[in-house]
Amino acid sequence: MRTIPVQLQQGCTGKQKLLAVIICCLLTIPAIISANEKEGCQQTGSLVFGILPFISVEELVFRFTPLVNYLSENLQVPVRIETAPDFVEFARRTHEESRYDILFTAPHFFTRANQKAAYRLIASVDSPEMWAVIVVPEQSEIRTLQDLEGKRLATVPPLGLATLLVRKTLFEAGIDPDVDLDMVITPTHDASLLSSYHGVTDASALMQPPFAAASKKVRDSMRIIARTESTPHIPISVAPRLSDACAAAITGLLVNMGSTPEGKAVLQHNRFTGYRQGDPAVYEKLNELLSR
Amino acid sequence: MHSNSSSLFQSLRFRLIASVVSIEIIMLSLLVWNNISIIQATHTDRLRDTATSMIQQIARTSGNYMVAVDYASLEDYLSNIIDYQELSYLVILDRDEHAVIALGAFPARPWPVADTHPAQVKDGSYDVSDVITVAGQPMGRVLMGFSLSLMEEAIRKSRTRGISIAAAEIILTVIVTVLIGLGLTRRLGILAAAAQQVGKGDYSIRIPIEAADEVGRTASAFNQMVTEVSNRTQQLEAAESQSRTLLAENRNLVHTSLHVQEEERKHLARELHDELGQCITAIQADAESIRDLSGNGDRRIETSASAILDVSSRIYEVVHAMMQRLRPGVLDDLGLVEALKEELSTWQDRHPEIETNLDATGNLDSLDERINITIYRIVQECLTNIARHAGATRVSISLSGNIDSLVLSVSDNGRGLDQSTPSDGLGLVGMRERAEGLGGEFMLTSEQGAGVTIRIRIPLQSEDR
Repeated sequence: MRTIPVQLQQGCTGKQKLLAVIICCLLTIPAIISANEKEGCQQTGSLVFGILPFISVEELVFRFTPLVNYLSENLQVPVRIETAPDFVEFARRTHEESRYDILFTAPHFFTRANQKAAYRLIASVDSPEMWAVIVVPEQSEIRTLQDLEGKRLATVPPLGLATLLVRKTLFEAGIDPDVDLDMVITPTHDASLLSSYHGVTDASALMQPPFAAASKKVRDSMRIIARTESTPHIPISVAPRLSDACAAAITGLLVNMGSTPEGKAVLQHNRFTGYRQGDPAVYEKLNELLSR
Repeated sequence: MHSNSSSLFQSLRFRLIASVVSIEIIMLSLLVWNNISIIQATHTDRLRDTATSMIQQIARTSGNYMVAVDYASLEDYLSNIIDYQELSYLVILDRDEHAVIALGAFPARPWPVADTHPAQVKDGSYDVSDVITVAGQPMGRVLMGFSLSLMEEAIRKSRTRGISIAAAEIILTVIVTVLIGLGLTRRLGILAAAAQQVGKGDYSIRIPIEAADEVGRTASAFNQMVTEVSNRTQQLEAAESQSRTLLAENRNLVHTSLHVQEEERKHLARELHDELGQCITAIQADAESIRDLSGNGDRRIETSASAILDVSSRIYEVVHAMMQRLRPGVLDDLGLVEALKEELSTWQDRHPEIETNLDATGNLDSLDERINITIYRIVQECLTNIARHAGATRVSISLSGNIDSLVLSVSDNGRGLDQSTPSDGLGLVGMRERAEGLGGEFMLTSEQGAGVTIRIRIPLQSEDR
């Protein structure tokens, strides 16, 4: 870490001195961060950025390539996107192989990864909590959860957060998802949404962020009939083999992403407002959800 | 050899067949060459398009597996593709150029460089590669190698088939052309042979009309022409025969007339000799008696008797001369040669400036009277003509006889005869008629300033000697 000496002019007021110090600090932060970042991960050779396959691979690569490139350029280490064929395989690779150096996954998957493979939380998406929604086509007669009885409800695989949240919501509404309706498993949130959009199923369950990111044409032709309880937003964690310096460098880049034009562009592309320091306590409440 | 090859090239049949076969070979060679080029281009383009299509398809569809690191599913997916016959290897490389999937014959490192087109391949394997992308991001590379052996085998089969078809077509063309040529030239040959027969005078030949084509129409026209020529020839032959008959009759008439004339002259000469000659002789004898009896008496009686004697002598000379012209007695008494000698001697007496020569050889003593008088008259006419027109200084007469014929030649060194100018006289015509009347030949040769030679040949029969 290197510091930049600042010579304060005599005769300044205390307020002016404080402002000057703040400005100097702000100016030195990126340089400090950059120095940390560059030194932090270069020993690792390359980093694997594992992303839960919650959307199609093309969409996933499209959305996260700017972020990965941003990290790669600033860490001066190749960072590559990887995912898995499905949630189960993704979880297995995470838990058994610690395959991903940086883990971008659903909150409840992080909890498991933390528990089983000691992944360390380094940041979270700095957005309000997220939730799952149940949507039906605009012209559908389904208005309430009760109307879903006997209908076909598309959702992500059973381990998906959306499925867990929707099942909980259905149970709370007195509907047994295993008995009263037909849960149709689709590989991703996009697939779940499009199944009812195309009339293959009567309704779709998916997380709200993917729904918000869907095309306007699809989104406008669907109607939300229910939303689940909220969960913390997406956590970013790192494998235990990464050094603290590397983890800190990544954290610094994520948290301060909004301070550079390039970082802002990346956030805008991901439709995130920013990242914040990760708080493991926030995700502890998901244990209850996972225990059901 | 040269004439054989020359006649071969002149043969319509050969030229027809050679032309058609040459054109056929040239066109088929071009066609085969073009087809082979097209086949090669088609096969190579097909392989290129197939390879491009396959590798693009794999590059597009493998990205998800690469990002998901789902190599098992990718290999399962690709395992169906490797069954493609021409595909020799298929390798999927990750972003570090490590082979994550290798199907078929694993290529040696370094990884093969992609070829631009199968036609430019030298090592027998058409290598292609493409980048595997997802959302525009490179996720690896796919390498594929296509063996050219199947394509080359297909090209070879196509080439063999094309050449076989072309060869069969050439053979078929040769056969058909030969058959047509034979048929055509056979009929032309018949036509040529028939024309030759007609040329030899056989007008009975007719060509069968086998078809209504050009040759058939030519044959029909030929038959029509032969019929016309035959009719005309028959008419000409009839006319010629009639002319020949008339000529023979005319010649016979002339001959008879000459014979009658000679007989009449002979008779007249004999009458003159026997009757008038005797009377004159008697008159002379009486006149001599009167003259002798008158003695030295009356002078007037002696004078009258002498006058009668002179007149009668003069009459006798005239009559004798007339007898000689009508019928030379020496001809009957001493033969042809002596008669000719006398005639020539007499003639030279009248024309002493002209040197004469008579050469008679062979057996000329026992010739028929008609021949003798004919030869004599011809020589007489020749000498008359020479005296009148030739202006010659030398005349040679040659007469030779052998067992078959008698040949007379009379030549002078005079001014010659312009044969292009028809003669008004009948002398030459008479000579010809006399010779031909005996079945002989009359020939006249002459050049301006080089004299005239008349040659006559008369065949001799056994009875003529």
